[in-house]
Amino acid sequence: MNVYLHELRSYKKSTITWTISLCAITVIFLLIYPSFSGNSEEIKKIFEAYPESVRKAFGISIDGITSLLGFYSYVFLYVVLCGAIQAMNYGTSVISKETRDKTADFLLTKPVSRIQIITSKILAILTSILITNIIYLIVAFIMANLMKKEAFNVKIFFMISFTLLFMQILFIAIGILTSVILPKIKSVISVSLGTVFGLFIANMCASVIGEEAIRYITPFKYFDFPYIIKNGSYEVRFIILQIVLIVIALIASYVIYVKKIQFNFY
Amino acid sequence: MNIIEIKNLTKNYGKSRGITDVSFNVEEGEIFGFIGPNGAGKSTTIRTLLSLIYPTSGSAQIFGKDCVKYSTEVKKEIGYLPSEVFYYDNMKVIDLLKYSASFYKKDCTKRIYELASTMDLDLNKKIDDLSFGNKKKVGIVQGLLHEPKLIILDEPTSGLDPLMQQKFFELLKEENKKGVTILFSSHILSEVQKMCDRVAIIKEGRIVTVEKISTLKENNFKRFKLETTSTVNKEFFDTDGINKYEVEGNIISFLFKGKINTIMKKLSQIEITNIWIEEPDLEEIFMHYYEKEDKI
Repeated sequence: MNVYLHELRSYKKSTITWTISLCAITVIFLLIYPSFSGNSEEIKKIFEAYPESVRKAFGISIDGITSLLGFYSYVFLYVVLCGAIQAMNYGTSVISKETRDKTADFLLTKPVSRIQIITSKILAILTSILITNIIYLIVAFIMANLMKKEAFNVKIFFMISFTLLFMQILFIAIGILTSVILPKIKSVISVSLGTVFGLFIANMCASVIGEEAIRYITPFKYFDFPYIIKNGSYEVRFIILQIVLIVIALIASYVIYVKKIQFNFY
Repeated sequence: MNIIEIKNLTKNYGKSRGITDVSFNVEEGEIFGFIGPNGAGKSTTIRTLLSLIYPTSGSAQIFGKDCVKYSTEVKKEIGYLPSEVFYYDNMKVIDLLKYSASFYKKDCTKRIYELASTMDLDLNKKIDDLSFGNKKKVGIVQGLLHEPKLIILDEPTSGLDPLMQQKFFELLKEENKKGVTILFSSHILSEVQKMCDRVAIIKEGRIVTVEKISTLKENNFKRFKLETTSTVNKEFFDTDGINKYEVEGNIISFLFKGKINTIMKKLSQIEITNIWIEEPDLEEIFMHYYEKEDKI
């Protein structure tokens, strides 16, 4: 419990910063939504002028872009992108922060097991992420209601927004696994930015190519927003895939951390 | 009873050497010195005891329990002071100490304030703003605040000024009187000599010897220094038991181990104007151990 609280406190500042950033993206984009929906025919023409591959890469579907949910899901892709960076940062710093600052000795010479340490740390970042999500959902929902022209499907709005949490948990797991495999990472941010942007670009390519198989290796494609809007449900196979990936990454991380990692700096 | 029992402990880092076949015991209530030059394997041994690293082969027991298997339990009664102190920089000293205390199921508040006043440590500063020596003090308080039964010190005095070293040693001696066992690793022999009952000497990952400090010093070593009227032929002193033979003008000095009578008879054959016979300090014996090992 003490490790959990200590960790939670150490993430306080960054959680606040990230939460504000994520909310800001949505707020700013939704503020321009009224002018978007007001001139829907012209906007559609502008987007039609773009090559189709560009539209696909940026996830723009002309039919949906002027509806609130269509517009929101387009904006939301960038919220997920930022959220993924936050989550990957947190995940990566679980082990590497202590190793880099050489504070691992402090914790590991205390009467706590390594399992307790890593569990407390993971729970602390999950809590931070959860707080970020709750605040984000509230802010985004209020904003959507303020900017709407006509009623929108609240259930679908939340279904889209919840994918932020799913994606963040996946990236936490990827981050933790990275940090136990490479515990001496000097710069967390470069590793997490690299990974997240790499996968994001893979997502853009996948969109252009349109090949179904590529979706399995690009997490940003696990939730297809047009599909959610159209069907009002998630694609079960991708949810299962995601859960499997998270479980494997976490189990591997525990095993490596408890059995293998050696803390030696001298 | 043995507080620490190390049996054939070996640790390799990939292909490079860590420690090889290290065995020694530390008895309850003693201050045990662990000396050797930098890189000899002192920290590796200690870090294995604390299961920060895992042994390649061999084992170690603390309080009669395997130090890897029962690591969590064993650590309840261990206080550890690392040679280099790193703590969470943006915390205040008092917050760090309270965090540290929160791992032990007892109230350590009073003890924290006692230790801080003994060591003259400002509790309200941020760790980040502390000098190296002051960080070391935080380490000392942090290692002692839960009144451990075994204190493990890894080169504890680096960074402390002589006055603080003195206070720190007094603190340790007080703890020792209460029955606390201390493992004291150092490369500074004079402090080991001052503090310890027994000592293990480690070199290149292997234990060279485990001896009582008193035996080490006895060992019949004498330091001879004599002033002669004329230069003495070097061959004259070329007998068994003479080490570290040095000549500086008319002053000859050497270490002697053996029957005092033999050397006195020899000395009586030359013209001496002055003579000093002293107990050598540990440093000299220690260097001697090393040199001897080198020849083999």
